[in-house]
Amino acid sequence: MIKNKAICTLVLSIFTAGAVFAAKPVPAAKKTPPPASVAAISGFTAADMPYDVGGAALLRWPVNPADTPDTVYTVYTSTLASGGWVKADEFAASANIGKDVDMPFWAWDGSAGEHALKVELNSFFGEVPPEASYHFRISSSEKGKLAAESLPVEMTTKGNWFRLDRLNNLVLLVVIIIVFFWAVSHAKRKGLFIRRIAGLDAIEEAIGRATEMGKPIFYLTGTQPMSTISTIASTLILGEVAKKVAQYDSYIKIPHYDPIVMTVCKEVVKQSYMEAGRPDSYREDHNFFVSQDQFSYAASVDGMLEREKPAAVFFMGYFSAEALLLAEVGATNGAIQIAGTDAEGQLPFFFTACDYTLIGEELYAAGAYLSGEPMLKSALKVQDFGKLVVMLSVFFGIIAVAIGAKMHWDSLVHVILNMFKAY
Amino acid sequence: MKFIKKTIPLLIVFVVGVLSLISYYVPHKTSVNFIELMSKWENIVSAFAFLLGLISLFFSHYHKISRKVDGWGYSIFVFIGFFAIIIPAILNHGKSMTAAGPTSLGWAYSSIYTALSGTMFAVLAFYIVSTAYRSFRIKSKQAFVLFVAAFVLILGKVPLGQIIWTSVLGWTHVTVSTVIDWIMTVPAVAGKRGIMIGIAIGAIVTSFKIIFGIERQYLGKD
Repeated sequence: MIKNKAICTLVLSIFTAGAVFAAKPVPAAKKTPPPASVAAISGFTAADMPYDVGGAALLRWPVNPADTPDTVYTVYTSTLASGGWVKADEFAASANIGKDVDMPFWAWDGSAGEHALKVELNSFFGEVPPEASYHFRISSSEKGKLAAESLPVEMTTKGNWFRLDRLNNLVLLVVIIIVFFWAVSHAKRKGLFIRRIAGLDAIEEAIGRATEMGKPIFYLTGTQPMSTISTIASTLILGEVAKKVAQYDSYIKIPHYDPIVMTVCKEVVKQSYMEAGRPDSYREDHNFFVSQDQFSYAASVDGMLEREKPAAVFFMGYFSAEALLLAEVGATNGAIQIAGTDAEGQLPFFFTACDYTLIGEELYAAGAYLSGEPMLKSALKVQDFGKLVVMLSVFFGIIAVAIGAKMHWDSLVHVILNMFKAY
Repeated sequence: MKFIKKTIPLLIVFVVGVLSLISYYVPHKTSVNFIELMSKWENIVSAFAFLLGLISLFFSHYHKISRKVDGWGYSIFVFIGFFAIIIPAILNHGKSMTAAGPTSLGWAYSSIYTALSGTMFAVLAFYIVSTAYRSFRIKSKQAFVLFVAAFVLILGKVPLGQIIWTSVLGWTHVTVSTVIDWIMTVPAVAGKRGIMIGIAIGAIVTSFKIIFGIERQYLGKD
């Protein structure tokens, strides 16, 4: 009994002692010393991003040779001088090097020895007001440990008035304008030779056939709005086609996809009938609106082609997936089909389903070709000049870049590639 | 009269055209605002023009029905289709979906419009077959080249074709996918780029003709 008590007392003592020891405060862990003051990132600047609307900042600072692959830069921005910092970007030290900025050599002097970063301010602060001030600071860290930090810097946004990076484009534009006016003045002095375009020569044949067969002619202006070049070109061709239709006393139907194009085409066709001396033959329902939905339009026009079996169908303008839906139905109904489009993806369908196809630029040239006016035809010479410039540039550019790459003349290659790049 | 009918429109075209051209090189907010304004005006004009289009559509089909021209029965469906969408749209205040599920407008859109559009798009597959048949009739040297390229592409896209290629031309160690890649990335891209360059230059010159008033056909004659 006494032995049992002794055992119980011993067990209780052990537990009590354990509890007492456990209750003892653990000696405080050795405190890590506060980080020594972090290194400063010097040379950090913030400025308005050049050649933009005034909604971005350009940050630049020197590359630190001590940076390792683990070094990460974090960029902070704020509208306040102190506090309110928002993380704008985070990237490895090997990224955002000045020489990698996608700008041409005449507009950017970035080097391999600096970091350059564009910060879109509207991503963090919404719409950026003009002349607004923003503050930036950067820090670098190694494996999550702060290594260096910059002092905050301030910049003010401003709208820029010229895209210097697009200077190459502007120079080309000026050259083309000069050649354009030279060609126009040259056309006034003497005529220009224009090669024959089979598709356009066949227009008269198609209209004549429709007249003989007593069937209508369908003219489709594409599925793009009036603001596109292909639709403008299409309306110009329509003017000439409608004039011939009026002269032959045939009948033309123009189902429309876009109501504005329909309104313009009404005027164009009316004018053509007047010029042909047949205003009495003009009817308001030559032009009519069908639908502004791609497949509804295709279904409706297909129905008309199937029922009315036209003798000639013209597809002039921009077409998408409906190109084949329309052209194939016209072909199976035995119509002479002449197409012209700048939608290069649809050209194969027109090639196979139509009798004649105007490829891209021929569509733009068609109005001038058909009108026969020297002033308009002169513009075709400008197109030829443009193609010559492109051909020579491609030819000599390829040779120069190939030689530069072979001889390791990186600067030469860089200059040539910059000159022919769109920014 | 000529001043109002010719000079003023040409002046408007010139000023707006030149300003739009300049805006490509001027990134300033003023330039951005100008382009946005032009876009808004275009939308406003489009809205009014759409009304004209609608009137034209209704008159055209009304005359077909009243004169009982060929296929006049189809014209009835123009009105049925129009009211099948517009009435639910008005009743549901233009909402196609509510918390309770799709409205009658939503139903009309998915069960009538989408179904019909899908049907029309599906027809394209059959037209592609008949077009392919027509293009495979070799009538010239160019058509033969087209046929060979298309034949290799078709061959390479089906497993049976790949097996045939390997068994017949396997000794060359040239796989059909290599040939397809070459066709698609070299001659096809070269041709496409040539067309695109021509289109770009043509578009520039056509724009100049209109901006500088050389092309005036859209204004009509005096």
